[in-house]
Amino acid sequence: MLEGRPATRAPAPESHRRALAVVPPGMPPAADGERRELWLAAHFPRLPLHALLPATASARAAVVTAENDPRRGIVACNERAARQGIVAGMGLNAALALVPGLRVEERRPVAEAALLDRIARWALRFTPVVSIEPPCTVLAEVRGSLDLFGGAMALCRRALSGLQDGGLQALLALAPTPRGALWLARADLGLSVTQARAMPDIASRLPLSCLQWPAETVTALTALGIRNVADLLRLPRAGFVARFGPRLLDELDAGVGRRPEPRRRHIVPERFDEQHELPVETDAALILQPALERLLANLAAFLRLRASGIPGLRVDLLHRARTPTRIRIGLVRPAGDAAHLSGLVAERLARERLPAAVTAIRLRSGVLLPLSLRDAGLFERGQSADPEATARLLDRLRARLGQDAVFGVCPVPEHRPERAWRIAEPGGTTPLPGQWPVTRPERPLWMLVEPQRFDSWEGTLVTGPERIETGWWDGHDIRRDYYVALTRSGVRLWLFRERPPGSGWFLHGVFG
Amino acid sequence: MSDALAELLRHPALWQGGAGGEMPAAVPSGFRRLDERLPGGGWPLSTLVELLIPSAGIGEIHLLLPALRQLSLASPGEPRWIAWLAPPHLPYAPALADAGLDPARMLVIRPRAGLDLLWAMEQALRSGACTAVLGWIGAADNRALRRLKLAAEEGRSPGFLFRPAAHRKESSPAALRLVLAAHDDGLDVEILKSRGGMPSRIDRLSIH
Repeated sequence: MLEGRPATRAPAPESHRRALAVVPPGMPPAADGERRELWLAAHFPRLPLHALLPATASARAAVVTAENDPRRGIVACNERAARQGIVAGMGLNAALALVPGLRVEERRPVAEAALLDRIARWALRFTPVVSIEPPCTVLAEVRGSLDLFGGAMALCRRALSGLQDGGLQALLALAPTPRGALWLARADLGLSVTQARAMPDIASRLPLSCLQWPAETVTALTALGIRNVADLLRLPRAGFVARFGPRLLDELDAGVGRRPEPRRRHIVPERFDEQHELPVETDAALILQPALERLLANLAAFLRLRASGIPGLRVDLLHRARTPTRIRIGLVRPAGDAAHLSGLVAERLARERLPAAVTAIRLRSGVLLPLSLRDAGLFERGQSADPEATARLLDRLRARLGQDAVFGVCPVPEHRPERAWRIAEPGGTTPLPGQWPVTRPERPLWMLVEPQRFDSWEGTLVTGPERIETGWWDGHDIRRDYYVALTRSGVRLWLFRERPPGSGWFLHGVFG
Repeated sequence: MSDALAELLRHPALWQGGAGGEMPAAVPSGFRRLDERLPGGGWPLSTLVELLIPSAGIGEIHLLLPALRQLSLASPGEPRWIAWLAPPHLPYAPALADAGLDPARMLVIRPRAGLDLLWAMEQALRSGACTAVLGWIGAADNRALRRLKLAAEEGRSPGFLFRPAAHRKESSPAALRLVLAAHDDGLDVEILKSRGGMPSRIDRLSIH
């Protein structure tokens, strides 16, 4: 479902093609040795909207506003909002005045980048050469794919319908240079050019806005009476560089094909994804385990070839007519060793209660990370700790006991005893020892999470009081006199009394 | 002596009495009076040590602190863990730092079930990734303790077990068993069993 004007946008109308000396698709290669590339640009002017709202949410007027903008300027709006007079660049207050019940979302660049990445991945079905042009365009070199898809128009139509199915509104354009295609798509002319010679010819129809240059540059150019790209090309080159810098001239040259513009290719990271169908439906570990071992052995071989490790692993146990049981295993340190992974999976599997018999097992790796290879020592054996052993122990304990049952502790520079530490990821970095007030009286090795009332105790006070009176600024202020006490049974305790005295004793720590 | 027998005698789990027995590797406890009584001059490494205490908090951790400090300093290469299994309270990071132990190397493990506790302690000992493993284990049969001892030997990690003094009458495979009792001036230490040493007592060991 496409909002706005649909498919007519992408393929060039017949008349334009003739007027601009556009070579019909599928023609034999030009003999004059010109670089034979053809770039398809897919521009998504409403990408901020698509990234946040599903296409089905178009029943209500919706806008996306700029992030961290006090005016909350509108970046994109849906068709319904546009019909009610909202345009990009408007302030949110103006938009709300026009449409009181407006749905307002704040732009999320991360979601936009992820969507663009998905689109680029999808575009790989047309050609292996796909490149992302942030913030909202995907470029693809399609010359080699024209025959396969039945020509440029057929390819464009196919791409457009695919994007529409995904609920995306796209402006498509073809040009012999990636930047040229980008300009054409942004200019929304409904034009395509397939020959490099034709690029300067249509420059007069490309407005300055399609270049997306800095606002002050565009203002300066407009003041010079420059309205479109053709005017720009007529400017003396040396003067242009002196005034606006060499980068913009390079861009201009790249757009009209005077200068090559290498593009960074979008490469989909490799992942492991394999499924093993079980010979019988079962939930018996006796049958599941060997199947898993085989998959894990394949995974380990896959990783070894790439000298990579994985930071995590996903195991899906597929059932008949039921959602799969998903097991997710995180690793403390990227690993690629089958024995270690298999131990972890076995522990997790033992804890899992399967709702039904398993028909198949699917094993998926996350992203691959390069593994630092380590030489096995020639002479030392078993003496010092295997660098991986510490991480492995953590993985194994967590696989069986759960993530929260295994943790570390970390001191925090703070005078209130109960806030002077926190639970931390084991092995985290410790602040420099210089930060600690080492001259303070001894602290107990055991600390109670919460101080406990401790009224009826028998014994003697050994040292004290140590007055701790702080924290008034955040509402958790304490006013206490701490004492070290020795009980009858010989246990040394850390006790305190609230100030002013009278509220009795509290136990806060044990010296151990 | 036949080869098979010689091989059997080399087994790390087998201890031979008499002059043939080597001094076990040990780390000084930091308390001279205690070191004098212990074979090897300190806490034995790569095995199980049992500390029987009437109640938690009488100074049992202070008794270990100098050795823990030494062990964590001596460990070469990748820093290893000091594992705390099911401690009665949480170890207090600032106090650990004051005592010279790096809080980042502490690994606190609090399993929910008792069986998991023994399993976790065995894993920690066997992994070789811990400079020391401290475990608070109540009732455990001889077989479970023997497994822990084998794991400690395999992973070359000392395992310190803290158990209620009520268990002193039970037999235990631990290489060293001490009964601690609180005293105004420190600890009364009774050496109940010491592999390669003699049972004895140390009164009023000052630990602070």
